[in-house]
Amino acid sequence: MSIPIQPVYVDVKLREVQESGRLDYRSRSLPTWCPGCGYFSIVEGLTHACNEMGIPKEQAVVVSGIGCSSRFPFFVNLYGFHTLHGRVLPVATGIKTANDRLTVIGVGGDGDGFAIGGGHISHAAKRNVDITYLLFDNGIYGLTKGQTSPTSAVGLRTTTTPFENPERPLNPLMMLLSYGASWVGQAYAGNPDHLREMITQALAHRGFSYLHILSPCVTFDKTSKTYTNLGLSVRDLPENHDSSDLMAAMHQAQDQEHPALGLFYQQFRPTLGDTFEQVIAKAGGNN
Amino acid sequence: MNATDIQIAICGSAGDGTIAAGDILRNAVAAAGYRVICFDVYPPEIRGFGKCISRLRITTEQSYSLKRQSDVLISLDDSHAIPHAGEVRDNGAVIFESQPISPCAEGEHMSAHVLPGQIPYGFPIREMAQKATGGARSRNLVVLGFIAGLLGLAPTSFQKIIEKKFAKQGANVTAKNYAGFKAGYDAGAATFKLDDATFGPLAKSGDSGKVVMLSGNAAVVQGCMDAELNTFFGYPITPATTIMERLASEMPKRGRRLLQTEDEISAIAATIGAGFAGSRSATATSGPGLALMAEMLGLATITETPCVIFVSQRGGPSTGMPTKTEQSDLNAALYGSPGDSQRIVIAPTNVEGCYRCAGKAFEMAERYQTPVIVLLDLYLSNRYETVTLTASGPPFVLDANKPLRRMEPGEAYQRYALTADGVSPRAVPGDVGCMHVITGLEHNELGRPNDSAEMHTAMSNKRHDKLQAALEHPDFTVTKRFGAQGRVKVGILAWGSTFGECLEAMFMAQAEGISCAAMKVVMLSPFPTKAISAFMDDCDAVLVPEVNYEGQFAQLVQGTLARPVVRLSRVPSSPMPVELILGEIRRLAGVAAASAAS
Repeated sequence: MSIPIQPVYVDVKLREVQESGRLDYRSRSLPTWCPGCGYFSIVEGLTHACNEMGIPKEQAVVVSGIGCSSRFPFFVNLYGFHTLHGRVLPVATGIKTANDRLTVIGVGGDGDGFAIGGGHISHAAKRNVDITYLLFDNGIYGLTKGQTSPTSAVGLRTTTTPFENPERPLNPLMMLLSYGASWVGQAYAGNPDHLREMITQALAHRGFSYLHILSPCVTFDKTSKTYTNLGLSVRDLPENHDSSDLMAAMHQAQDQEHPALGLFYQQFRPTLGDTFEQVIAKAGGNN
Repeated sequence: MNATDIQIAICGSAGDGTIAAGDILRNAVAAAGYRVICFDVYPPEIRGFGKCISRLRITTEQSYSLKRQSDVLISLDDSHAIPHAGEVRDNGAVIFESQPISPCAEGEHMSAHVLPGQIPYGFPIREMAQKATGGARSRNLVVLGFIAGLLGLAPTSFQKIIEKKFAKQGANVTAKNYAGFKAGYDAGAATFKLDDATFGPLAKSGDSGKVVMLSGNAAVVQGCMDAELNTFFGYPITPATTIMERLASEMPKRGRRLLQTEDEISAIAATIGAGFAGSRSATATSGPGLALMAEMLGLATITETPCVIFVSQRGGPSTGMPTKTEQSDLNAALYGSPGDSQRIVIAPTNVEGCYRCAGKAFEMAERYQTPVIVLLDLYLSNRYETVTLTASGPPFVLDANKPLRRMEPGEAYQRYALTADGVSPRAVPGDVGCMHVITGLEHNELGRPNDSAEMHTAMSNKRHDKLQAALEHPDFTVTKRFGAQGRVKVGILAWGSTFGECLEAMFMAQAEGISCAAMKVVMLSPFPTKAISAFMDDCDAVLVPEVNYEGQFAQLVQGTLARPVVRLSRVPSSPMPVELILGEIRRLAGVAAASAAS
């Protein structure tokens, strides 16, 4: 992939960013991530999306688990809850149940979501909780300094797999599609413009939206999911992909060698909040 | 005026209608204006022939526990009831089938086991049921009628309850059941009287409150509803499930939300999430679920998020004995969590206490910004009592949050501002200008991660100190002393459902002339050091009865106060037998007298 080089002038760019208003959504805390980490572009993407959608800062809550990715709430100027390892979705479900008006965004890593927290995803998806779940997948445990994760490639050498990872990685997109998530998409941290667009779409979806974000870990994985390797392997979804076709989405999700970027699947159905209101109506509790 | 105090035990095999008979009896006498306490014991299997016993104590004033001995035992199945013949007092009645369906050996019939001094009432229950209803299924109603007639209870209140109970099954079934009851009633009224167990007149009730019959779990639900619980998240587990089941039908009627989650971790996580969002939120579980919730409780402690956890204990460890009562989760409730786990733990001692503690728990959770565990047990969850609800409306504060002032422009909101009482005004998502992040990491006043020694000490102090005010929480009984005032030979210190048995034992000991007093301890964390110390100062010996093996509350008292207590820690798979406590009181009174004489 070759990117044409265009000149950018600092003063112009600075004014453009300042005037956009999206810096309002940034906090004063400096990110704790390593230089070059893919997660910087996710902060950019979310602040941009919130700004574009005009979400009031006090009406959004970012819920995270534990891991490098889960430090995320500290770097945005929204309400935030840095919870426990693996518990993003149940906490987010509680917040949304208590207050439907809030925009609730869950963030977490591949270990947080698919190892320790794996049991919760299917239920959040099936209930169609109206939240957005951004999963940062770098295929490694970064905060604990480089152990194998549920999405690590076969053969990856890490501190806990010194003789190479023997296990097949999970296929998160297949899981989410079969769990009944009502919005499933994939983006790549090395393609920030597309990422930003996908975050905006995910936030706009009414229901459980799952965005899988591929990202390198520049410190602990120098061989597998690097910018170079990811950049060469990702592809766009076919132009004629029908996002209402679950089987087509699953077909695309099968290809883990060449991950497709874009909206795999979208469905509209009642959210958890809707079903609560239905129950209340049946019980005659609206009077 | 003779105060009424009659205890009736009905024993049968699963399927005999034992529990149903107990249900009709307790509702009928409560409708007549008596006070009731009732505890049913049944096997864990849904189907089978296990033993069922329903015990009811009917009194003029509300009693705290069942009596050591019953006045009447009704056998619907001799093979199960024979071992219980001994629990009937002298001159008490044993009611049984006089014409077994098939010939049985002498030792297998109740008549051979009635003790000298007990009064046998054998009558043809099955035959009477068949004559009155054309079938033997209403044997339970025949015996109910029999004791109503025998003890002189008016049949009218029974008729109403029977009609209500069988309303769904049609007029025919109702009529047959009432016919069975009436046949038994006539037989009971016609037979010789059980002289010293009759129902006395009722005192004119002075309080204008509404009297209702509630189980401990139903009282919890009532307390939650009256305290305006907004959201509930739970996972089924015996013996806490009925809390969620009742809330599932009550909450939507009031426009509130309940979610059955995928596990207990999710239940407590969502409860905390909802608490963070400003909702009055709760979950309910038992010991195994509490173990799963331990990590999350620490998160609620460090983030200072209000949430309420009802824990109904059962026999442990592990899956243990799901249908047997025990008080062995005290340590888990007090300490279960990583790090120092500051929290409030309260344990009601009777059904009315379940109502009050449930409502007050939300107040405390909000006021002190902390998880509050309400510790129940199977005996308390499943037993029925008549409860008076105050006429002036629920006695709960519906918004106990510390007021939040408006932020000045440019001012950074400090979620964990260090204040005199340790409680920081709390903003919730939606509050303009107060955006902040809460975290399970140690943090500074802004909520930003900070692991300096100074900050960790300051925040630990804050989390500890703010709870001390709960010891003087308005309109809440933290501890209460009963019995003799001043110096006593034996003091009983007890918590949870066992306190009822302790009080009963204390009354019996007092009747024997032993000087004794009892203190119930409702708040277990923070520990009411002053009140318990003062009580212990008055006692020659302090007895701590509790239904667990290691003496968890005794350890807490000894460890906190460095003063000796006498432990009575037993795991009988049932409530603590009153005679066991009484025996210890007698022994200690004797010991104390001997040492004073020497």
